[in-house]
Amino acid sequence: MVGWSGRRKTLTILLFVAPTLLGLLIFSIFPLVLNIFISLTNRGKFHPNPDCTQTIWKIVEPTCWLGNPPKGLAEPFGFQTPVYQNYADLLGGLFGRAGLVALLHIVIALLPLLAAWYLNRRFDRQLTRPVPSWMVWLGGLVGVFLVSRLADVPGAYNTLLRAGNFIMVNIRTILYVVVCMPLFFTLGLIMALILNNRHIKGLTFFRVILIVPWAASTVAIMMSLVWQFFFRERGTINQLVGLLNIKGPAFLNNSLWAFVIVVLVNLWYTYPFFMVSLLGGLQSIPQELYEAAEVDGASWWKQLINITLPLLRPIALPIIVLSSLTTYKIDAVVWSLTRGGPIAGAGKPGATEFVMLHAYKQIFETQAYGRMGAFAVILFVMLFAATLYSLRITRITKGAYE
Amino acid sequence: MNRPPTLAARIVMYAVLVGMTLFALYPIWFAILASGRAGDRLYTFNLAGMFVPTQWTFENYRTLLYETSFLTWIKNSLFVATLTAIASVSLGTSGGFAFSRFRFRGREAGLILFLAIQAFPGILALVPIAQILSAFGLYRNHWGLIMAYMSGQLVFATWMLKGYFDTIPIDLEEAGMIDGAGPIQSFVHIALPLARPMLATTALFGFMAGWGEFFLANILIPAPDARKTVMVGMFQIANEVNIPWGQFAAGAVLVIIPILLVFLFLQRYLEAGLTMGGVKG
Repeated sequence: MVGWSGRRKTLTILLFVAPTLLGLLIFSIFPLVLNIFISLTNRGKFHPNPDCTQTIWKIVEPTCWLGNPPKGLAEPFGFQTPVYQNYADLLGGLFGRAGLVALLHIVIALLPLLAAWYLNRRFDRQLTRPVPSWMVWLGGLVGVFLVSRLADVPGAYNTLLRAGNFIMVNIRTILYVVVCMPLFFTLGLIMALILNNRHIKGLTFFRVILIVPWAASTVAIMMSLVWQFFFRERGTINQLVGLLNIKGPAFLNNSLWAFVIVVLVNLWYTYPFFMVSLLGGLQSIPQELYEAAEVDGASWWKQLINITLPLLRPIALPIIVLSSLTTYKIDAVVWSLTRGGPIAGAGKPGATEFVMLHAYKQIFETQAYGRMGAFAVILFVMLFAATLYSLRITRITKGAYE
Repeated sequence: MNRPPTLAARIVMYAVLVGMTLFALYPIWFAILASGRAGDRLYTFNLAGMFVPTQWTFENYRTLLYETSFLTWIKNSLFVATLTAIASVSLGTSGGFAFSRFRFRGREAGLILFLAIQAFPGILALVPIAQILSAFGLYRNHWGLIMAYMSGQLVFATWMLKGYFDTIPIDLEEAGMIDGAGPIQSFVHIALPLARPMLATTALFGFMAGWGEFFLANILIPAPDARKTVMVGMFQIANEVNIPWGQFAAGAVLVIIPILLVFLFLQRYLEAGLTMGGVKG
């Protein structure tokens, strides 16, 4: 802006930014900092209160600020020895011999995909591709399948599951994201392709109707309870199946079924987001390309593979990354459907207990706040890194459009 | 992809559309049906009753509204959600304006900070937030819950408004400057009136977030019954031993349908909000 500078400028900007910053400081930034301190202590059920005579807690612990700190018979909490003990508890299993070997097995099994990616990059630089890219990817997937047989990936997976609850819920959640994304994308793309066809009648009507689940996701906790009633032991599905004289299973008490149901219901909530975004992408593809392909006699399938999908990439990549993040952080849907269950044994997370639910359940169950703090800090670092990465992808793909 | 589809393709496409419409709407329709069913049953044993209302009654709605705490919960939720909306917009607007219009040291850092906060879900910060609130006597208190919500919504509101101010041409404000308006005047008299639609939209998003949130509300206001929000209250109803199905369904309808309407109305702003990570810094 013109005509003002120096101290007045600084003051004005401060005046503008102050309300926002103050709000964030109290309830976003300070909890983060406090979390880091908590994560280094043995705070929990047996050591609930701070020792307010120590300078450090006088400064960071809010319950010490007002002069009447909480008192109890229990010992106050203090720093762990070594100070990073909580982090070691959570991640230790991963860095043991067995954990590293298992990780190595999984990485080896994923090598064919890397090879496919590399091959595709090489082919892209050639004038004529010897093999279409989807075939290379398919080959990569087959390779992963074959190698995972050889490298005993299921065994490695089970080893990792036993390497501690934190690692277990993380692996399960990542598996969940990996299962969900192709489904979200495929259904979203199919619906977007249909809605992009001008020869279909009632497009506006369908477009509005089909995003209703997205709207329902703002009250996911309630809506998922409604969904849960379909899958109860005497719920709607089993009632329908009962008409055929079959006794349906108790879906939510079976690990595999529970997982499938959580995927299905999340598909219901999420496909509209993919549909709407991909529809926007489809509409930005110039029609001339299709006309030219038509002249060359390219089939519908060829047009999809060679024009639509490559040109959708700048839209598809950011939404997949974004949606992976939200799927990783899924909470309300699963909480209503399964409460993280079914549980395999005492002290073990349930089959659908994804990271956020695990964190939430710890508040009631173990009440090991120190370890939960470490949990939160590790997750924060992971999520922040992923967010920065997604921002980078969005920027790169934006560049592709301009 | 331009040519008219063949008859077979057309039939397939309509079949998919109709199938997906059923998939999208049936759960909600199911809740509506169950809410009008007499007796304490969620399920009906005749097939027709699963698709059309056979014996409709408003009994469940009457019981829910007059004989349970439902109305109190609704009132609590309305209070919390409205204040969350107001607080997040009023604290976020000036910040959004500053980040859009001014270039200053720490601006980039501020934008990164927003992303960092956005990456940190509220559930993970529950323990420290509960400590802060109990230190100030705001635990089990609506004001505490509002503050906890507000901080989460604030980042969202600031991003949304910054993005919107970015799209308003600066020329008007420059014209104002030439007439002698300072930055504060140009904010209050020029930018704010122009941003009115976005202020309303952001507020509505804040409202919806406060209305639908469960986890923080469940921990920060665990009791008494009269202070709970509607999500916590309804979740509790759905997990009782003898679940009053019809009442639960009636409550679900009353809580979900208004939000659906608001959302469909706001649809076109959604993409802007959801891809906010991509707003250029």
